[in-house]
Amino acid sequence: MSSLGRIVAIAGNTVREAIRNKVLYALLFFGVLLIGTGILVSSLSYVEGDRILQSVGLSSLRLFGAAIAIFVGVNLIHKEVDRRTIYTVLSKPLSRAEFLIGKFAGLVATLWLQVAVMAVAFVAVSLLSGAPLTGGHAAAVVLAAIELAVLVAVATLFSSFTTPMLASLFTAGFYVVGHVTRDLRELGSQSDVSSVQTMTAFLHRSFPDLEAFNLTTHAIHGLPITQAQVVWPLLYGVAYMGVLLTLACLVFQRRDFR
Amino acid sequence: MRERTETSEDAVSVEGLVKDFRPGFGLVRKRVLHGISFDVKRGEIFGFVGPNGAGKTTTLKLLMGLIHPQEGSARILDHDIRESEFRRHVGFLPENPYFYDYLTGVEFLEFYARVSGVPRGERPARIEQLLADVGLSHAGGERLRNYSKGMLQRIGIAQALIHDPTVVFLDEPMSGLDPIGRKEIRDLILRLNEGGKTIFMNTHILSDVEMLCHRVAIIVKGQIRFEGGPEDFLSAGHGGVDVVLSQMPPQALLDLEEQLELEVRGQGERIEANVAEKSLPDLLRGALAAGAEVVSVTPHRASLETVFLDAVEQGNQDDGSANRAEGGAR
Ligand SMILES: Nc1ncnc2c1ncn2[C@@H]1O[C@H](COP(=O)(O)OP(=O)(O)OP(=O)(O)O)[C@@H](O)[C@H]1O
Ligand SMILES: [Mg+2]
Repeated sequence: MSSLGRIVAIAGNTVREAIRNKVLYALLFFGVLLIGTGILVSSLSYVEGDRILQSVGLSSLRLFGAAIAIFVGVNLIHKEVDRRTIYTVLSKPLSRAEFLIGKFAGLVATLWLQVAVMAVAFVAVSLLSGAPLTGGHAAAVVLAAIELAVLVAVATLFSSFTTPMLASLFTAGFYVVGHVTRDLRELGSQSDVSSVQTMTAFLHRSFPDLEAFNLTTHAIHGLPITQAQVVWPLLYGVAYMGVLLTLACLVFQRRDFR
Repeated sequence: MRERTETSEDAVSVEGLVKDFRPGFGLVRKRVLHGISFDVKRGEIFGFVGPNGAGKTTTLKLLMGLIHPQEGSARILDHDIRESEFRRHVGFLPENPYFYDYLTGVEFLEFYARVSGVPRGERPARIEQLLADVGLSHAGGERLRNYSKGMLQRIGIAQALIHDPTVVFLDEPMSGLDPIGRKEIRDLILRLNEGGKTIFMNTHILSDVEMLCHRVAIIVKGQIRFEGGPEDFLSAGHGGVDVVLSQMPPQALLDLEEQLELEVRGQGERIEANVAEKSLPDLLRGALAAGAEVVSVTPHRASLETVFLDAVEQGNQDDGSANRAEGGAR
């Protein structure tokens, strides 16, 4: 069988493991619940009800997506090693890179399923309260899904060599820093101290700018979204994942499973 | 142990493997394998025997590419173990296996069939056959979460065989099985071997080895102390000849015992004496002269247990002297 066939087998098994995991449903449940509460929050306000509703919805989707990405990503890879299921899998005609890529693909597929469920909830809530739905909303959800895939790649990289506790912390840290680097650079460039300027510029360049994946504001205010605003982050995300996964495979290759 | 005709081809050949572990985060290294070498011939059942902590599992993990050696190399079916494609001809049952407990027995085997490259059309029949072979036909639809320890061991063996491998590596295949289960797995191993598979088996249960294996390697503290088959037990220390006598007068026996340094077991009607080869004629002449009958004369074979215990002792002694030498150097 081809390399692709083996990767698909690993990915399929990963999805199956995830969807038989109860914690995942708990997270998903709260995600959908929060999207639903948008209705409540928006009804408390006289102005801009639709916007509040959709802002809460899209933010919940992105935040719970991230939580699921970190939790599921780190856990499912670590579990294979910890429970030694990896011993039998790697004794088969399967390279470690194929294993890791299969794992990653399965995790992304799982996550995108969750995003799809939350997106359906978002659409339902919007329709119920008569808020407008445009291509901008679709673009926002797609880019959010790409961002989550990048996050899973980060989780995969950290899980390939460190403990789940540290891997979760690092991945969460990466997520937070990735969202503030743009603001930091703005702040830094206003500073008179040149070392602060270089520092914040360096941070901005070395961490991915995850805000590039955030079209929430554009979507809910109905601002025009250019093609470049969608295509560039997409390519950027794919390239970044490629680098992260290559690194993860290199680390994983050398590792002793004992 | 069992005799078999020799073949020259090696299924596994191990050349000077060295493995260090770092138990903590520090720089301290602990050498677990001290450059071990041995060969497994094609078509044999090979027992890799040693006390707890000797390095059996470590060796197997090295062979399966799960850990990497500091030095040395190994080949399986004429492929360097660093390759991965040849693994379609290799099956592996780890020690105390853990499996995907959210899968049913059938799903579990289906998954391994897919990663091992078993064609889709062959999978259902293969899975059914294997479940029957390991005695789990009734439990194929149940989640592994609900399997007992012995059932997990069995499904683990099925997993190792899913792609009909040429060489099968089993780390303590009988552990966790009841007496009936042990017998079933023994029979399965024999059947597989008769079908042409080479079996590499880690164990410290000598009776299993005696019933199954053609050849053994004994590993003690990370060093190979013995490698060979029953024919090599003859030369492994305890030589001599066993003579069985009947109707031997006690006084004559005492005389001969003193004269020829016999080792005597039994009394009265049936007497077994172990004697050095050079003194055999004297013993026979003396016994016949005293009116005894000679029932049998056979070269003495050390039991596997004797060879094993000797190997362990030798390992301990060497270790002791090595430690003393190290202590002196400091
Ligand atoms: N992950 C590890 N880290 C550090 N030392 C280890 C590790 N695994 C094994 N060892 C050490 O390596 C030595 C050999 O262990 P191994 O598991 O290979 O023994 P074994 O022959 O399989 O024993 P058993 O019969 O108990 O299964 C032991 O001294 C053990 O302490
Ligand atoms: Mg062991």
